[in-house]
Amino acid sequence: MRSTRLAPAAAVIAALALSATACSTKSGTDASSAGSDGVKTGPGVTEKTITLGALTDLTGPYASLGKSIVNAQQLYVDQLNASGGICGRTVKITVKDHGYDVQKAVSAFTETEPNVAAVSQMVGSPVVSSLSQELESKHLLTFPMAWASTLLGGEYVQVVGSTYDIDMINGVDHVVRTAKLKAGDKIGHVYFEGEYGKNALAGATYAAKKAKLKVVGQKIKPTDQDLTAQVTALKQAGVKAILISAGPRQTAALVGTAAAAGFAVPVLTSSPGFAPQLLATPVGPALEKMLQVVSPAPAFTDNPAMQKLAKDYKAKYPKDLLDPGVVSGWNAISVLGEDLKAACKAKDLTREGIAAAHRKQSRLTVLGVPLDFSDRTKPATYRSFIHKPAKTAPGGLTNVEPAHEVPAARTYALPKG
Amino acid sequence: MSDTRDTTGSLDATGSSDTTGTVDTLAAPAPATADSPSAQARWSGRLSPRGRRAATVAAGVLVLLALPFYVTSFWLQTGLFAMAAVIGAIGLNLLSGTTGQLSLGHAFFLAVGAYGYVWLAAEPSGTGAGSLYGLGLPPVLAFVLAIVLAGAAGGLFSPISGRLRGMYLGIATLALVFLGHHMMLNAPQVTGGFNGRSVPPLDILGFSFTDTSPDGLAVLGVPFGGLERLWYVGLALVTVAWLAARNILRGRPGRALGAVRDSEVAAAVMGVHLTRYRACAFIVSSMYAGAAGALLALVFKRVVPDHFGLLLSIDYLAMIVIGGLGSVGGAACGAVFVALIPHLLTKYADDLPLLTAPGTTGSGVSPGDAARYLYGTAIVLVLIFAPGGLAGLAHRRPRRKGDDSPRTRRFPLRTRTAPKEHTP
Repeated sequence: MRSTRLAPAAAVIAALALSATACSTKSGTDASSAGSDGVKTGPGVTEKTITLGALTDLTGPYASLGKSIVNAQQLYVDQLNASGGICGRTVKITVKDHGYDVQKAVSAFTETEPNVAAVSQMVGSPVVSSLSQELESKHLLTFPMAWASTLLGGEYVQVVGSTYDIDMINGVDHVVRTAKLKAGDKIGHVYFEGEYGKNALAGATYAAKKAKLKVVGQKIKPTDQDLTAQVTALKQAGVKAILISAGPRQTAALVGTAAAAGFAVPVLTSSPGFAPQLLATPVGPALEKMLQVVSPAPAFTDNPAMQKLAKDYKAKYPKDLLDPGVVSGWNAISVLGEDLKAACKAKDLTREGIAAAHRKQSRLTVLGVPLDFSDRTKPATYRSFIHKPAKTAPGGLTNVEPAHEVPAARTYALPKG
Repeated sequence: MSDTRDTTGSLDATGSSDTTGTVDTLAAPAPATADSPSAQARWSGRLSPRGRRAATVAAGVLVLLALPFYVTSFWLQTGLFAMAAVIGAIGLNLLSGTTGQLSLGHAFFLAVGAYGYVWLAAEPSGTGAGSLYGLGLPPVLAFVLAIVLAGAAGGLFSPISGRLRGMYLGIATLALVFLGHHMMLNAPQVTGGFNGRSVPPLDILGFSFTDTSPDGLAVLGVPFGGLERLWYVGLALVTVAWLAARNILRGRPGRALGAVRDSEVAAAVMGVHLTRYRACAFIVSSMYAGAAGALLALVFKRVVPDHFGLLLSIDYLAMIVIGGLGSVGGAACGAVFVALIPHLLTKYADDLPLLTAPGTTGSGVSPGDAARYLYGTAIVLVLIFAPGGLAGLAHRRPRRKGDDSPRTRRFPLRTRTAPKEHTP
């Protein structure tokens, strides 16, 4: 009994001890090195390719958005490679789907992290919060697909465009001017619990205070589908306009319920609250009449860059709809593409080199929007566009008011993350 | 894996070697030596399988111990997730598998453990609205207290669990998940709110389980970062959890719990204090969940409320059903299955044939979708071909009983009439 137990065990121990010392292939840190062309390279960059990572949601609640972002980024990379790539290297994106599951995202990140130079998109604010420390410690420039101002301030996590709160400040300003609100009037704000809603509410509250309005808040959950109670409450409170920072479904429910109740006040939504798919539903006409969308991005008809994007996207993905994800994805990868070009010029394609090149971008124009990334504690832009839904327009939106900055946006103290 | 399973018929061994997630070729020669004809003749009856079992267990444990020297951090992290799942599943199995109390609230107790550890171990920080409470206890003490805290939460719930049965209890525990989620979002000074809170690293007498302090630690030439160090903490916890559950089940309490499940009247007649045993099962199960949650928090390095939702509870139920209700080894196998398969499928989905990569125009299935289909298929296949769960597979081959008649167990899931194995 004893011998049968011990003999194999001893053999295994011996084998293990020998092999552990001799043939373990686990290497130490992969330090950055200079390639044959004199360009310093780090993880994710070889003589031939630059690999970028993308952690996205292709099977969960944001699947359609995730797909548009992936498509748009692939389109950019294809065009970039066709024009010669970066430093003679082709750019490749490793896409990993996490289905909005934090654990899957964390493990997908651990898997891809050693082989990528930067992360071109990361969907899901819980995912970004879970990984933010890792991203900072691995010096990995990352573009989250979330626009809460609490994400600002990191050296390596970079929000592209204006944040939810700044959008809402600009949006409230627009509503005050167009709906002729007076001091003492009330506005309603229906918002998701969580970072998105909280951040938007902070902006709305600040702007309302400046305009001497009162905000009537209604917190909802992403699972809420029926907003009758909220609409009734806002109607009773006598609000003159409604802001909504939720998903497209909730926007449709809110506008539909309000229209049915004869409560025709202007409704303004943050850009994640709108999807062009809504216009094909029975609520479509009511949306076209009552809704406005405040967005950091221009509409697809606004400028030549947007028109070209719309055309190229339709040519490559004829079956897919133009939606806000296309613009967000394109924005992020364009900024990253410019960073890579700048890093290539500086002959430093290490992660640190890419991030340093990024931080020097103070006058970058992407899709007609000037962006400034030199101050990591501030949004890249303080300007927002106001659009309204239009069934026939590409992307379902036409512009109402061009991008402009509201003085209140600069005096607003950004919340710390 | 299959070698191990075929030669042992023991759940200990299959379970522990499964935890590795790799094919342990090293385990193969070990049983073969123990299996020699002479040994079998000499140790006929009970001893020979025990010898083989011990050898396999030893080999499995050694493989597990050696893994950090070989595999990448992805495997270590996935393995650690699996270890946390094993601990949690053993706990849920005590409650649902052995005592027959359906619980959908396991995610809540995991959250109590995870947030409990963070709250107890973290130093208070921040000011004003962004301030975070924390007791700043030594991490090891915080870990133990987090387990106690989860047990206390289970104890507080036991008056309710003592009065409800079956589905009704399931629905009542479901409420815990939503209550917990609400509290996590609305007590930002303890939980960090929606964005969660970063987890203070485990630290034993200055030895930190992170990439630093001692910086650049290398064992036998292999760099030992946070995941490598945590791996051994995970292994130790799994061992303790496993042995404790086995001892509970093999002893008087285990028989009593099984009796409570099979017939409360009969159990009461036999002198089993029903309320007390049901409450104890709930508390012990919650403590296991607490330990799993705290380990999970250490691996994640940040806890966020969204992780501890209803889906996590369902995952745990799936683990014990797939593994086979009522056995510790089965729960462990199921946990490894449920925790590993989705990650592996996602990792290798890109290499599957007939798929369209995201961002291309083909009309095929994307790798992410394919991983989900395959995971669903795997679960269905396990449930069809191993109705007793993975634990049942090990007992599949007809075993000779004393009278040489082959023993068949066709419906091991039927707990009320079939004699139930409480021990692995």
